[in-house]
Amino acid sequence: MGYVKETRPETMMVEGDWQVGCYRYKAPRLLEEYTRALKKKKILGTMCMGCGKVIVPPRNICGRCHMRMEGRMIVSEIGTITSFVVSPPVVKGKYKLFGVDPVDTGALKEGEVMVPVFIRFDGSDSNLACLLFNADPKKVFIGMRVKAVWAAEPKGAMSDLDGVEPLEKL
Amino acid sequence: MRNAAIIGCGQTKHTSKRRDVSVAELAAEAVSAALDDAGITMKEVGAVISGNMQGFGGVAQPEQWIGDWIGCAGKPAIRIATGGTTGGSVAHGALYAVASGMYDISIGVAWEKHSDSKEAGATTGLAHVGIGNLFHALSYGLSLKNLIATTAVGAAAGVAVYQARFYMHRSGAGIEHLDMVAAKARRNAAKNPYAHLQWPNCQPSDIAKTDMIAYPFRFGHVCPASDGASCIVVAEEKLAKKLCKHPAWLKGLASYSDEENQLQSENYGGVGVLDPSEQMGARVSAQKAYSMAGITDPQKEIDMAEIYQPFPSQELIFSERLGLFDDATAWRHMEKGETDINGRLPISVSGGVNATNAIGSSALQRVLECALQIMGKAGEHQVPKKVKTAMAHGWGGVTNYITVTVLGDSPRG
Repeated sequence: MGYVKETRPETMMVEGDWQVGCYRYKAPRLLEEYTRALKKKKILGTMCMGCGKVIVPPRNICGRCHMRMEGRMIVSEIGTITSFVVSPPVVKGKYKLFGVDPVDTGALKEGEVMVPVFIRFDGSDSNLACLLFNADPKKVFIGMRVKAVWAAEPKGAMSDLDGVEPLEKL
Repeated sequence: MRNAAIIGCGQTKHTSKRRDVSVAELAAEAVSAALDDAGITMKEVGAVISGNMQGFGGVAQPEQWIGDWIGCAGKPAIRIATGGTTGGSVAHGALYAVASGMYDISIGVAWEKHSDSKEAGATTGLAHVGIGNLFHALSYGLSLKNLIATTAVGAAAGVAVYQARFYMHRSGAGIEHLDMVAAKARRNAAKNPYAHLQWPNCQPSDIAKTDMIAYPFRFGHVCPASDGASCIVVAEEKLAKKLCKHPAWLKGLASYSDEENQLQSENYGGVGVLDPSEQMGARVSAQKAYSMAGITDPQKEIDMAEIYQPFPSQELIFSERLGLFDDATAWRHMEKGETDINGRLPISVSGGVNATNAIGSSALQRVLECALQIMGKAGEHQVPKKVKTAMAHGWGGVTNYITVTVLGDSPRG
């Protein structure tokens, strides 16, 4: 086969910056309803009229029985941890995303330990991934009861539901 | 449909950095090896199906670059990208091309070149994927901290951690079982000359000594980011019988997507319902592929399986979901050594994705390794027992997509 290299010098490399462009996304209709509810500190889900499952955040079609999810439900802001992860402490310069160190942006703090959790809010059947605050990472367990932490001034955006915190002080 | 069979297999050695070749040169190595294995040249090939993980490698139209390089000018070419399952879909594409009667011989080539990313691992590639899948969430007001902590950085690994927790909670498997799967993968990989993380005689205690990343995953549990390519040659019945002594025949295939397993994607609506380890897509694909293959009892009729297991928990989860073991029992069977290379039902004897992960190529490698076992060409990691039926699995998409391919030692009846 003539096209396979016989000698193998290092391939030339060209250094360069890669700019990630911007997009303007059209929000789905349900997402608009969801974020409007968040502004009122309510968590909106949709209910499948076929199997009765309530999904948060809301979706249009049930992934199990493929029927339209016509029902609207406000679910509880109290829920249960169904899965969790404890991150190692954040180290500045350890990793970059899109060429940016998350510590430099102020999004993460040096030495911070994050606990991303899956929450099933009471009245819903699905899990929402978000952050657990004000908890000792060593004492988190599956089945732990938590409640929503809201932004100081909800403005109708996803960030209104900041995360969750333990219902009872451990 | 016509009968189709895999008659040639080619792979490159997988390593963390192949700085001596370009993307096209890397893919050409695998294609060349596969054509040599089948004893044909590019002239006889009717169609080319290629693929890698979308955006990874930073190349927009790799099929054009590779196409010229492997000498398939003027031939019909398709590029397939279905995330981690890309290789599985490429295999399906190549099999479809022949089984449909369109072409007598097709090739499927899949590749990944992680080292072309300047940032660690697959970060740049994930950035590509992230724009479509996650960035819209920022424009709807998701905070950067939440994006980083819950979705972006975790990527497949993040999903797998949650998934492992769910599985361990319901099945009773412990972290020691993850050590066992990872050690088995490293041991098996040591017998596979093309594998990446090779560790002869690796024991679970060796894996247990590695650092904890995020419970239950240790450093030793996680797959590498590999550079590599693989290629299969598919032929119709008459040609397959003429060209190959022991072709690996297509028995059944299926692929399904389960939106309930899609982690916060597109409309921010997809979050694993109740249990990300539920993997309904795997159940449905397996049922469909088995019924097409005439398999009624997969636990008895399948001789070996290659499961897409970048993280050790997934070998356990998927082997149950694909019907190889009853629910929540895979770890018990593994404890008894049933999934070892000389066990009752060997799983991922090539080392699997846990030892070698050139993402686009990974799911094609599963099909290729099953074919090698049926052809009897696997070499040192050949399963001692006669392999009549083998099953290859792929997991990908946005953690929601499954491919299942069943190969056998005789044509479909």
